[in-house]
Amino acid sequence: MTTTLFIQSLLAGVTNGCVYGLIGLGLSVIYRGSRVVNAMQGDFSLVAGIIAYLAMERLGAPILIAFLGGMVAGAIVGWIVELLFVRPTRKRGGTEESFLLVTLGGAFAVSAAALLFFGRDSHPVRGLGGNELLDVFDAAIRVHAVWLIVLSLAVVVALRFFYTRTFIGKSIMAASIDADGATTIGINVPLMRSLTFLLGGAVGGVAGVLVSPLITIHYEMGLLLTLKGFTAAIIGTLGNPFGAIVGGLMLGLVEALAIVFVSSGYKDVISMTFLILIMIAIPNGILGHRGRAGG
Amino acid sequence: MSLGQSQSLPAGSRMPRNLALIAAAAVFVAVWASVPLLASRGTVDLLVFTALYSIAGVGVAFLLGQCGIISLAQSVFYGIGAYATAYGTTALGWHWVPSLFAGMAVAGTVAFLIGWPILRLSGHFLALATLALATIGHVLFLEWDWITGGTLGVGGIARISLFGFVLNTPQRFYYFVWIVAGLVFWLYANLLKSRAGFAMRAMRDAPSAAMVLGVDVHRLKVQVFVMSAVVGSLAGSLFASYVTFVSVDSFGIDRAVSFLLVAVVGGAQTILGSVFGAAFITLAPNLLSKLGDIHALVYAGVLVLAVIFLPQGIGGFLRDRVRGLLNGSGRAGR
Repeated sequence: MTTTLFIQSLLAGVTNGCVYGLIGLGLSVIYRGSRVVNAMQGDFSLVAGIIAYLAMERLGAPILIAFLGGMVAGAIVGWIVELLFVRPTRKRGGTEESFLLVTLGGAFAVSAAALLFFGRDSHPVRGLGGNELLDVFDAAIRVHAVWLIVLSLAVVVALRFFYTRTFIGKSIMAASIDADGATTIGINVPLMRSLTFLLGGAVGGVAGVLVSPLITIHYEMGLLLTLKGFTAAIIGTLGNPFGAIVGGLMLGLVEALAIVFVSSGYKDVISMTFLILIMIAIPNGILGHRGRAGG
Repeated sequence: MSLGQSQSLPAGSRMPRNLALIAAAAVFVAVWASVPLLASRGTVDLLVFTALYSIAGVGVAFLLGQCGIISLAQSVFYGIGAYATAYGTTALGWHWVPSLFAGMAVAGTVAFLIGWPILRLSGHFLALATLALATIGHVLFLEWDWITGGTLGVGGIARISLFGFVLNTPQRFYYFVWIVAGLVFWLYANLLKSRAGFAMRAMRDAPSAAMVLGVDVHRLKVQVFVMSAVVGSLAGSLFASYVTFVSVDSFGIDRAVSFLLVAVVGGAQTILGSVFGAAFITLAPNLLSKLGDIHALVYAGVLVLAVIFLPQGIGGFLRDRVRGLLNGSGRAGR
């Protein structure tokens, strides 16, 4: 294998890894704030991608406005899911299984709606910096991919700041750790849970608009993104948003090397096997309990 | 309702109630047997699929209802059965019987080898692991085209013949497949009442207590998972023999979802609930076909609504109503 090919696959791995990390980040945000494993995280991204595509191609919106619109769309879907799906289930004494089933249903609903209104075809989305390429040691990387990596890291830093420094971030954590205690000191717990989904949806939306220019948008892409994001979140300890990016990068690199050494057809088989092995071997992630307890 | 009344009721009404049950069963069998003679070919075809999906679905329902395991991997075992029959009867030239049993053996072995490690996972971890399995299965069905024919599929699969009588019409297949479905239900109903059935409920409701009482929780889960895979494979083999053509499109994630829907809509706590669930997933796309691809959206909506508002499914709902009636009062069942 040549060095160029190796660097090329490494770059692809890091780019994909950031996407998986962002999905995992969204999953972790929602798990952290509500203890719900959200099986429709990848579908927030699908919605965001579709909105960004429609805004650009049908309305002729500038790319930044379209991306912002996608992110807002993701946040709104997250909020609606909390109101219509998660809250009624919680009221009726939902178990861990019923939350998962409800969000799975939501995932299938988004995918089915995308099929119905958006069609069976894949759609390409324009990226930041168009299709321009940068040269890294003879390997090529799209300008958009560089933006993706930078923005992913920015989201991680912003979330860290949000949870540790802002009043709302701290209130969300309080509502999640001890709902009764939080209510006693005047925190609006249902509102915090809604905000959690709003935030998770927004992170999913960012992932969606950033990934869409690299892979085309397709109505079935949500579930696979969710599974890969979940892999990232578990590697980095579920509920720890900062671990998710690390986990995502690991998964991205494993996948990239698998494409080089095995075959691109088996890419998903390898990443799903990786998911199962990770769940069996290190269910608490590489950061372990210390990471989970950390507020 | 006082205690005295409820004790005197069975003694006084046992004979008439048994007679009523026998009469109801006779009417049921008569209706069942006369359907293919009266209904259109299309309707009988749908009823055949209802039976196929209820066989595969009862395996998923039993896992969910008795063990609390969400399995999205049934499409894989359904596919293994279908491809075993397809490959066995075309490439190898086998009779349909050994092909069917080979499929069940492969599905059971795969379920054992995968189930042993993953059934130690709990809750959503396990559910997502089975979803990952369904993804893996779908890719492998696509990639291993020397067995599965990939997207082109396999055609010319042998039909089922019994004593020289070929099941080549929906009407003929209807009788056969519903008898098989009945046997599978009977098997599961017996399991439910057996010692193992009690152990499963104990394991679901109070895992720690079950372990203290000497129930090998993990082993029991693996056994139920293998059994579910075997009936999934059986349904897949029958499906392949019925339609005589299989392609990878039949074994995707959407099929795994529809099997889960059989369990959730039909009711995971009752065996016969699967029939209602299977009837729903066969009839709904047919009734909604005028509106294009909308049935997938309806499926998803129904899944959400059923989990929130009808956690016991149609089967559980009906069971509670029937119990209420038998006890002479609407509230007595609870």
